[in-house]
Amino acid sequence: MSTPSTPKSNRMPVGAVQCDNTTLNLLKANDFVAKAIRDRLPEVLVINVCSSPGSGKTTLMQETGKRLSDKLNLAVLVGDPETDRDAVRMKEVGINALQIVTGGMCHIEAQMILQALDHIDLTGVDLLFIENVGNLVCPAAFDLGEDIRVTVLAATEGDDKPKKYPRMFLTSELMVVSKADLLPYVPFSVEAVTQDAREVNPTIEVMTISSLKGDGMDEWCDWLLSKVAEKKARLATA
Amino acid sequence: MHEISIVRNVFETLQQTYPDKFERITKVQIEAGLLSNIQPILIQNAFEALIMEEPGLADIELEVLLLPIIAHCAACNRDFEVKRHKFVCDCGTPTKNIVQGQELQISRIEFLEK
Repeated sequence: MSTPSTPKSNRMPVGAVQCDNTTLNLLKANDFVAKAIRDRLPEVLVINVCSSPGSGKTTLMQETGKRLSDKLNLAVLVGDPETDRDAVRMKEVGINALQIVTGGMCHIEAQMILQALDHIDLTGVDLLFIENVGNLVCPAAFDLGEDIRVTVLAATEGDDKPKKYPRMFLTSELMVVSKADLLPYVPFSVEAVTQDAREVNPTIEVMTISSLKGDGMDEWCDWLLSKVAEKKARLATA
Repeated sequence: MHEISIVRNVFETLQQTYPDKFERITKVQIEAGLLSNIQPILIQNAFEALIMEEPGLADIELEVLLLPIIAHCAACNRDFEVKRHKFVCDCGTPTKNIVQGQELQISRIEFLEK
């Protein structure tokens, strides 16, 4: 057994000590890369899709791709700690997709996106989804150069999540309640989750969707089309 | 989850910012807003683990200050502390104007004089 060391605060440094008050942002490197991504994609609407594992992000992407294939050009960067299964699922329905394997990491960092941009053809792409690693904690802190962050919350996860994971909902423009076809069978109140989410983020929009049954998909697709149009309009006036 | 990478960031940032003083740093203070998802004890553990690998850094002490969440109410024109992540002023007005709480930064260093 090692002997417990002297607490450092009890050790007197030898010589005079000076102080420097400062402000050195520890996420500066990530934010710098995030800006580079924004600069590189002025014509593409980038949406960072966050959620817990298993909330139905990939199914939502697949169904969105099918519905919007004749209206806009869509691509997906999908992050997972391991495997390329999600990118395979996207490609099966004809979506231009690239897997980012984080090698066990709990979130995507901007640097991974910047590197991925060299390996996916975004010519003519209007909308780029980044499907983040399933995790409602860590991804919240990392700006990926997105225009909009969307958080997906499945009805089966329970309606208490906005208060438990406030930073994620605080930084999201839209909360999608997914698996809405299961609402009759689970104790989940859309009203309660909306109220909690708006106490954390008063301007968050809420949408209820069933990717598999199709409920709410028109509203979601219209919302995406309007956001893509807004970004193009901003670029035209800039 | 990502505390180790944050602590690595601390050392890299200090090395870049204070190339001449880095060897003489005795204490680092970090300010972490309550919205930064940082647990002081986990940062402390990650810090201890990293300095074990680097004998030159063994005498650096770390202090983590947690900053409460402060928001601004436009109706009352005042700042208030956000408790239980309820971004609503006592007067009932919701707000998105966060004054403090998202920080993750080195706020102070102490170093030995040459």
